[in-house]
Amino acid sequence: YDPLSIVIGVEGMTCHSCVQTIEQHVGKMDGIHNIKVSLEDKNAVIIYDSKLHTPATLQEAIYDMGFDATSAGSN
Amino acid sequence: PKKHEFFVDMTCEGCSNAVTRVLQRLGGVQFDIDLPNKKVYIESEHNVDTLLETLKKTGKSASYLGEKSVQ
Repeated sequence: YDPLSIVIGVEGMTCHSCVQTIEQHVGKMDGIHNIKVSLEDKNAVIIYDSKLHTPATLQEAIYDMGFDATSAGSN
Repeated sequence: PKKHEFFVDMTCEGCSNAVTRVLQRLGGVQFDIDLPNKKVYIESEHNVDTLLETLKKTGKSASYLGEKSVQ
């Protein structure tokens, strides 16, 4: 596989419970190697398998949970 | 009319806002959120399974508690 890293902007989190919920929920998805959510920076850094995900599917996964997700680009 | 009563493990405004958003995106629902008691009251034509699945999208644990008549 080809692991890629992406930063997705996440709006609407107000506490660590929100952070943990996103980390646990998205972290359990197939093809997610690592996710680190920052309450301060309002973003999520995700390392994912590019065969199973695209920036759009990752953004959608967070959007589906009830947060606003914006693509901030890969690094 | 009857309201469906759900438990959703919300701990902060961010959690209840997430619940608000997924319900608004589903559409066709009227709801009240009681954050301190971790309850969501929903009036909707959607069935209970659909509502519960929608609530679970937030990643929080959620369960159906039953119907509650509206005064």
